[in-house]
Amino acid sequence: MSQIVAEQLHQDQAEEHVAGRSPWALAGRRLLRDRLALAALVLFLLIVLVSFAAPLYADHIAHTDPFVNNLNGTTVINGKRVPILQQGGGVLKLGETPIGPTWHGNYLLGADNQGRDVMSRVLYGGRSSLLVGIGSAVIACLVATIVGLLAGFFGGITDGILSRTMDLIWAFPVFLLAISVGTVLLTAPNGLALGPIHIQAQSLWLPTLIIGGVYVPYVARPIRGAVLSIREKEFIEAATALGASNWRLMFREILPNVISTVIVLLPLMIATTILTESALSYLSIGVQPPNASWGTVIDDGQQLLYTRPIVAIAPGVMIVLTVLALNVLGDGVRDALDPRAKLRIGK
Amino acid sequence: MAAVLFAITLLVFGIFFLTPGVDPARQLAGRNPNPQTLVLIRHQFGLDRPLPVRYLLLMKKLFITRDLTSYSNQGAKVMPEIVSATPVTLSLVFGAAVIWVVVSIAMGLAAAVLKGTVFDPLLMIIALIGISMPVFWLGEMMNLITQNRLHSTLLFSWVPPLGYTPLTSDPWMWFKQLVIPWLTLSVLYIGFYARVLRANILETENEDYVRTAHAKGISDRRVLLRHQLRTSMVTFVSLFGLDFAALVGGGALLTEVVFGLPGVGLLTYQSLHSLDLPVIMATVVYGAFFIVFANTLVDIAYAWLDPRVRPT
Amino acid sequence: MRTRSLLTTTALIIAMTATACGGGSSANSSGGSTSSAGGRGGTLTLLANSNWGPADPAKNYTLQEWQLLIITYDGLVQFRSAGGSAGTQLLPDLATAIPQPTNGGKTYTFTLRPGIKYSDGTPLKASDFVTVMTRQFTVPGPANGFYSGILGASACLKNAATCDLSKGVVTDDAAGTVTFNLTAPDPEFLYKLSLPFALAVPGNTSLKDLGNNPPPGTGPYMWKSYDPQHEAILVRNPFFKVWNAATQPDGMVDEIDYKFGLTVEAEVTQVENGQADWVFDPPPSDRLNELSTQYASQVHVNPLTAEFYFALNVNIPPFNNLKARQAINFAADRNAYVKIYGGPSLAVPTCQVLPPNFPGYKPYCPYTTNPGDGAWHGPDLAKAKQLVAESGTKGAKVSVVGTTDEVGKAIAEQMVNDLNAIGYNASAKLLAGGIQYGYIQNSDNNVQVGYSQWYQDYPAASDFLNVLFGCPGFHPHSDASPNISGFCDKTIQAEMNAALTQGETDPTGANQAWAKIDQQVADLAPMVQLFNPKLIDFVSKRVKGYAWSPQWYMLLSHLSVK
Repeated sequence: MSQIVAEQLHQDQAEEHVAGRSPWALAGRRLLRDRLALAALVLFLLIVLVSFAAPLYADHIAHTDPFVNNLNGTTVINGKRVPILQQGGGVLKLGETPIGPTWHGNYLLGADNQGRDVMSRVLYGGRSSLLVGIGSAVIACLVATIVGLLAGFFGGITDGILSRTMDLIWAFPVFLLAISVGTVLLTAPNGLALGPIHIQAQSLWLPTLIIGGVYVPYVARPIRGAVLSIREKEFIEAATALGASNWRLMFREILPNVISTVIVLLPLMIATTILTESALSYLSIGVQPPNASWGTVIDDGQQLLYTRPIVAIAPGVMIVLTVLALNVLGDGVRDALDPRAKLRIGK
Repeated sequence: MAAVLFAITLLVFGIFFLTPGVDPARQLAGRNPNPQTLVLIRHQFGLDRPLPVRYLLLMKKLFITRDLTSYSNQGAKVMPEIVSATPVTLSLVFGAAVIWVVVSIAMGLAAAVLKGTVFDPLLMIIALIGISMPVFWLGEMMNLITQNRLHSTLLFSWVPPLGYTPLTSDPWMWFKQLVIPWLTLSVLYIGFYARVLRANILETENEDYVRTAHAKGISDRRVLLRHQLRTSMVTFVSLFGLDFAALVGGGALLTEVVFGLPGVGLLTYQSLHSLDLPVIMATVVYGAFFIVFANTLVDIAYAWLDPRVRPT
Repeated sequence: MRTRSLLTTTALIIAMTATACGGGSSANSSGGSTSSAGGRGGTLTLLANSNWGPADPAKNYTLQEWQLLIITYDGLVQFRSAGGSAGTQLLPDLATAIPQPTNGGKTYTFTLRPGIKYSDGTPLKASDFVTVMTRQFTVPGPANGFYSGILGASACLKNAATCDLSKGVVTDDAAGTVTFNLTAPDPEFLYKLSLPFALAVPGNTSLKDLGNNPPPGTGPYMWKSYDPQHEAILVRNPFFKVWNAATQPDGMVDEIDYKFGLTVEAEVTQVENGQADWVFDPPPSDRLNELSTQYASQVHVNPLTAEFYFALNVNIPPFNNLKARQAINFAADRNAYVKIYGGPSLAVPTCQVLPPNFPGYKPYCPYTTNPGDGAWHGPDLAKAKQLVAESGTKGAKVSVVGTTDEVGKAIAEQMVNDLNAIGYNASAKLLAGGIQYGYIQNSDNNVQVGYSQWYQDYPAASDFLNVLFGCPGFHPHSDASPNISGFCDKTIQAEMNAALTQGETDPTGANQAWAKIDQQVADLAPMVQLFNPKLIDFVSKRVKGYAWSPQWYMLLSHLSVK
């Protein structure tokens, strides 16, 4: 799932790091000239905007609460009142089939098994998916930067312990972590209290923290590599000779030089975490009801795959668009920060 | 490596016993037991002993006597379950790997050769779309098309119902049932490997040996295949090692779930859902073994190939 | 006297089921009818997504394996192997007759039929039943409480290693007699002897759990293999000769292959294509329409004596308040739950504990608009809100503990909606089914509302009322407490005990008492009853002889494929 990050990792390993104090303005201008990346950025922002407007859509266009079952309800389509769930046909009349896409404001994409408006749920789902995706990517990058700095700078035992911990997380299945922590929180009466953060089982923080934690090693490794090579550079030697403290070296001299690595990785990480979140939610161990995410809507749609495929198709298309936009954007950011890479990954 | 495996077993064990409200004796006892029966079972399975002893007992049963039994599926031995799930996962991953290696090399080469034309960015966008698709969703869409919407057409009428038939009992059925899962699983890797390969080939363009080869008058095609592709395959192969191991170790879980393939991933998934510690422990150790083993191998290979990344 | 009274019980059941069946079943519900029989031979292929766990008859407590155990093993008594209401009738099987209990209802003496052999050729002996009963406690069996009334059994429950039932199960191999001595009269003891736990296995069978290797049995089929990952195979028992076709008829097919591991979607497809003959799992909801329109002749729908319900914890707020419990009962939109389960042809709303067609059942539903006729018509939200206001529990936080499966998830969310609609602040907690059932039973977990289901063990009212809402079923601080509500009402318990005693001599009167108890429990509302489900059997085109018994469901030995 983190292929694209691994790809980046490989390139960072292969490449001698000469970030230098590259003028950010120059990079920004290069990014703006990259039309494909720009289009991707616009698409991503559009998806964010639409997702965060979900309550407006639900209240003013669909006139429905996408978190309340509506099994016995009816809706008016073309002046005709129709039930949202229709009893099966034949002699036996088995089963109930939800209404399909109406292409009207109400039930634009039809209803799910529980009679809820699919379009509203996809929009609300986008909100959760984006929150969890962006949140966990930011957490992963933050923690990884600190871990990478410490491990790469101090080396020795610090590096040994941190690197082995990273190996451990790497080999540990994310699904196990999500299920067991989720079950602990569900069965513990008051959730989990981490200092000021109080996490309930239904909280979005849970998948955010789990996914964020799992991806720390993926980001920490290239950062550690970058720190290792920068540490040997002349300007660090010069600063050391001038009597700069370790902390000063780490945060004033080295950090600005690895930050470009982090920035290149961030959009790719968000893409990866969104995919992971959707997988966990699809296995019903990510975002918990009544919250919805794109993954949970796909899960709901699986039950209706043959009769109402739109329920599974719509959130999937949203995921593909979002992740594709982020991947294209990631390529663009890398090209902008490191023009030589442009030669390598084609445009 | 052994240390990481040891730490993983400790972690799995720890997580399980941090889970309150889940009494293994209750799982072992079945549907509607007496409270006295619970006490009896707790004693019978050593669940009333101190945690370190229970950990050691579990490890002994897992590694030495190999007679670990499942909690939720009372009486079922764990080892045979894993042994019978492994060929399924291997069949899935091996077939997908063949597809993704062949197709991604073709795509990567084509993009590199066609650089400067419209086909290069087109191929790379297709690769990027492949990388951007959630594999479980792609699998569902494949099912929708091949099992339902277009199943009655000539194109997909050969697709059998979801499931797995062992290679030994009916090779043709084995093949037919796995084709769609293979394609689904390989899409992501095709995109990824095609991109990596193309980048690596183009990177070698300015290398001295390539220039020398060109200068010697060797044909472009020969230089590409004999020199550039060969060098570029170093990264390709080491990445392949990692991915293959991760998939065999349970990384193909989503594909197995979507297509109902009773492999290690599906076994892990089911045991996780019933919090069946012995099976979880066994599958996690199995998966971690592959991943840690492959990581170590690739690290060694890397250090051997490229002295710059040797740990300082 | 007692034999006659027992016959009256079964007669009553027959009468009740017969009347109910006439109205309830749809066109293809085979209810009592048995479709035309075919010829002998061939292989019957059955499909299930997952296996049934342990294969040891003393250990397994799933209907899935029971359907096979009753054709591979025999009990002293057994239900008639017949479709429809006749299937609830208890008949002598290995025994020559159903005995009349002596010693004040505490002693049952059976005489074995001579000449019956196990599938390995060993002759059946009276002393085999000592092994059968001892195994309940040494394996141990999941429901050995059924047999804890045998003299000496309570000591076995405490310490299985020293289990000695020599006083409780007295046998004479020469005379072929088996005598059970009980500590107290138990009018349901014969039912308990018919359950697969108590079916005969050879006397030298290990007292330990046999795992996946079921011992030899006396039925028309024997276990060839059971591989929980792939399949179970049953073949004809070479030593089987029909001794009582009413309880154990010879099987029609030569072999039964039970395959595991396909997705339910694929299973349904295979049966549609004729590659397999039957699906154990309920068909996925998106295939139901297809089944009822294109494959209606292969679908059999039968009502189950089972219920889906939410247990309300009567010992903690807010549902320690009677009005709060009644309020949610008025508010629960049972039509919505029925639709989640697959619509009105697959489930029937209910307000009471006992299911239709069951001893002691009298239609009763106080929690509806227009009450009076015993049926549920619609939620009464005004009444519910008024009760919430009166109870003073408005705004209380309520956590609904449900399961993660498709139906369970939707049902829990519907309950959250219903609770929120009358002013509670509800949320759902979803746990995997295997974990949730133990979790909601333990009073330490303070579960306020727990989603659960109950399927009959045998046709007796106490199997619902006394187990689910009786004081003996409530074990605080334990995961083994089937009375999830923690409901223990001294008056009602006294009435239940009286009804149990009355059942020994006067089953008809006892069932009237149970009907009254059923209403009293419904009035005190320690639960929200949702619906009684129906079961879909989807068989292949070639299957003939389909018969459905309320006790064992589809009868496998009746099916033919030729």
